[in-house]
Amino acid sequence: LTECKLHLSSFLLVFGRAIHAIARISDEFCFDPVEKGLALRSVNSSRSACAYVFFSSMFFQHYCWAAVSESCQKEKPLPLPCKLIIKSVLPVFRCINMLERNVEKCNIYTNSNDHHITFQLICKHGVVKTHNLTFQECDPLQAVFAKHMCPNVLKLQSRLLADIMIHFPMSQEEVTLAVTPMKVCFRSYADEDTADYSKAMHTEIQLNPDEFDYFQVGVDSEVTFCLKELRGLLAFSEATSSPVSIHFDVSGKPIAFSIDDMVLEASFILATLSVIGDEAAPEQPPRVSQHQESKPHWNGNSHNMELAAPRSPLAKQETKIIPKMSNGDCTGIEGATIIETNDCATRELRSTHSDYHKVRKLQSHLPYFSKQGNKAFQLFHSLFFGAISFKEKDAINDTLHSLATASDTEEDSVPTQRSQV
Amino acid sequence: MRFRAKIVDLACLNHFSRVVNTMARLAKMCTLRLAVDKLYFILSDKVDNGGVSVWCELCQGNFFDEFQMEGVAAEHNEIYLELVPENLSRALKTAQNAKTVKIKLTNKHCPCLTVSVELPSLSSTSRIVTHDIPVGVIPRRLWRDFREPSVPDFDVSIYLPVLKTMKSVVERMKNLSNCIVIEANLSGEMNLKIETDLVSVTTHFKDLGNPPWVSDDESPSSAQVKDLENMAEARIDIKKLLQLLAGQQVNPTKALCNIVSRRIVHFILLHEDVSLQYFIPALA
Repeated sequence: LTECKLHLSSFLLVFGRAIHAIARISDEFCFDPVEKGLALRSVNSSRSACAYVFFSSMFFQHYCWAAVSESCQKEKPLPLPCKLIIKSVLPVFRCINMLERNVEKCNIYTNSNDHHITFQLICKHGVVKTHNLTFQECDPLQAVFAKHMCPNVLKLQSRLLADIMIHFPMSQEEVTLAVTPMKVCFRSYADEDTADYSKAMHTEIQLNPDEFDYFQVGVDSEVTFCLKELRGLLAFSEATSSPVSIHFDVSGKPIAFSIDDMVLEASFILATLSVIGDEAAPEQPPRVSQHQESKPHWNGNSHNMELAAPRSPLAKQETKIIPKMSNGDCTGIEGATIIETNDCATRELRSTHSDYHKVRKLQSHLPYFSKQGNKAFQLFHSLFFGAISFKEKDAINDTLHSLATASDTEEDSVPTQRSQV
Repeated sequence: MRFRAKIVDLACLNHFSRVVNTMARLAKMCTLRLAVDKLYFILSDKVDNGGVSVWCELCQGNFFDEFQMEGVAAEHNEIYLELVPENLSRALKTAQNAKTVKIKLTNKHCPCLTVSVELPSLSSTSRIVTHDIPVGVIPRRLWRDFREPSVPDFDVSIYLPVLKTMKSVVERMKNLSNCIVIEANLSGEMNLKIETDLVSVTTHFKDLGNPPWVSDDESPSSAQVKDLENMAEARIDIKKLLQLLAGQQVNPTKALCNIVSRRIVHFILLHEDVSLQYFIPALA
């Protein structure tokens, strides 16, 4: 059972913006209350972006968390399961302006017995909006990323970051960040394969290291990442008015945008494009990673993001390795290797071709959240909208946006990065 | 061929941006003609733009602090470039508090108009934003396609009503019909009409005034034997009219239109240092 209350409207705005930022990454996210606070996690379908927002219990007016043991389940009492909610929660926080003006309080409470999570918005004039959502259990994934090992670190005010990104049109997909000890440059990236490469307008912004609160460049590098996925974080960081830190390395290695505040922290980790010259990555046999070993970190050949479950689920005892696609097809084919061990599940997405674009288009082999493999039905019931629909878990693609959606002039629509299941 | 220009005054930058924004609303692609003392944005009447043509003329001295142009050849000292005005509009949009804006013709992966914006920053060195806008260089043999259109032999010439009012009227009419009839007479009366199977709507404007044109082959004092009440009319695509009206952010000093009955409507909008002519052909 978890209960948390958000009272001040400015906090509600921050919370709403966090949900929107995560919505840019994926259509589903994991709502993970722990003793110290509430974590929201999300990974996009191509595993090329991963978001994590943590609100400490102090962020809330009132935060109460208690583990419940489920007697109906297996013999071992489960720790409080992590819950997965699809973007049906987005309509709750859809209209940010309305949130600020009309909502006085927001109560969020869960009851793992009936797998419901309730968002209750107490608005002005005695209006109470209650959203009852069913969740499924999930195993949250988080990227394994050693920020402290990044040679390049930039820290800047969120206002400055917004002022930089505004020069790129909303349609700009990718952006390259190029640094040397003397200067910082953000420029638009155009895939040479696209038809209008020569017709596209190219934009470049050059800044002096002085403009940054903190500037450390250990190695000259140029990293290209997806700007669209980041836009949500920009709005979120402006709401928190905290500075944003950027940790990165050379091309191919992930880049992390993070916010660290007294009551919250957030990090958005994006894969970066590898420089094409690097493509002769030799095939490596799938590695089994044991819990005791230190997590395999980046080497020059694996352009991937490692994702691991932060806690031990009720896992199978044996080690299972799902083989990759045949080694014969080298270009543009990715394989997903899922490795389960005793205590942790590590998913590595290896690329034989370094272009992460291809990752996005490829089918993922297994839904990342399915651990126990049992089918669960997804029930969405919102008192506010008064509609009920049943969906099979795998048909999540048919989302329930046919129900009333408020017009939202602020944000772009949620990106459709879906794996074709 | 060389071109470099610089704007340092924010008001000039603002004004130039507005002109470019207007062009961006009127045409997907257009021609930028650079001469020693003037710039022109030109769209010539091709089938693929619905027969519409646009001629926008600016005095460079009113906008640019520096302006250097070397044309294709000494005796043809001009440059004609084909570009997407929306790109230029976007480049200028985020330059609204710039220290300087420089525009020059460059050759990156292809010929480009490079807009270089120097923005104030928190540090000692300015922030520099550079936009490379791909352009096509139009060869001299095609220049005759882009000559200034002549004023047509119109039946009626009349000043337009306040553009904002006209725009809101036309905007509502757009929902009811695809074409609109503009009719006007030499008594300062203009009607905007739409007619469908279900409904007809007409908006009447009075006392607009008719501009005094002096014809070459007549002395101005000779009596005009013209029926002042006679309406000249043309039926045009409503969207094209709306594109013109929607693009006007500032009220022009003078706004008028010349109607050649059932042939063409010629709009002239004059600001202090910019003139815009817009031709919309009549529909069958």
